[in-house]
Amino acid sequence: MTRDEFLRRLQRGLKGLPAETVGDIMNDYAEHFAAAGAEGRSDAEVAEALGDPARLARELRLEAGIRRWEEARSPSSAWTAVIAFLGLGAIDILVLLPVLVTVLAVIFGLYVALLGVFVGGGVTLFTGPFSDFPGGTAAAVLCGLGLMAGAVAFTALLSIFSIWLVNALLWFGRLHYRVIEPAIKPERDEP
Amino acid sequence: MPESIEIQLKKGVLVLCVLSLLSRGNSYAYEIASRLALAVGMGEGTIYPLMRRMQSDGLVATYLEESPSGPPRKYYRLTDAGRASLAAQLAEWRSFATAVESIVGTAVTQPAAEAETEQ
Repeated sequence: MTRDEFLRRLQRGLKGLPAETVGDIMNDYAEHFAAAGAEGRSDAEVAEALGDPARLARELRLEAGIRRWEEARSPSSAWTAVIAFLGLGAIDILVLLPVLVTVLAVIFGLYVALLGVFVGGGVTLFTGPFSDFPGGTAAAVLCGLGLMAGAVAFTALLSIFSIWLVNALLWFGRLHYRVIEPAIKPERDEP
Repeated sequence: MPESIEIQLKKGVLVLCVLSLLSRGNSYAYEIASRLALAVGMGEGTIYPLMRRMQSDGLVATYLEESPSGPPRKYYRLTDAGRASLAAQLAEWRSFATAVESIVGTAVTQPAAEAETEQ
């Protein structure tokens, strides 16, 4: 593989990352070729030693995803990082996908349910005193407030659990970087 | 596909190796990669995901320096957190290596009886 071919495949693998990150990474590898060239190594030899650019791109994507996730814990950064994790192919996707989809569905369902409880609490709080709520006005107000507070508390717990889950996935992904046995042999020849 | 114990062990000490190299002087990725490729067989290309990770973790920081050949090079230096992490990992590694050596140092690779008949 030539230098340009390597860099082109790497860049293709990094598509979708912020332009600044891609530029930074491309600079790193261009610098690597330059430094190796200064030592008299040929571009083909260096490209061979660097390993499979597509594989490297997948590890760099996960690393970028983790960095974003650590900067801002949001559903969207979690999503990007989890997609990057899946791209790494650490576990057979056929095994992982059903599990992941189930877990995501359960978490999503719980969020919706908690929102429902919160709204229900609000409705009880405001309409309870004016309808004949069993136990009277005070009971309706307390019951409404209780439901709302409970929903908020469980949402917080659920968020902590979700963050922990994403962290565990990313930690697992990092364990699967091919740092030692380099991805010298391409897993499959991409055109 | 499970990885061999050798690969797992080497993976585990890579960060320690990079921290140790940098503790002796600032360096650029190509130099670090060459040293580690020779010493532990690390893939040269994977130094970059590793260095980016160490940078995110605040263990190393980068700066640009003019190079004798070509464009300026990105150099890495240890941060205070990096130094602290090196000290901790080094202590852990030493006690681990000593403990393992005290066990494997007494290992016998050939059954005593067979060793005699073969002579």
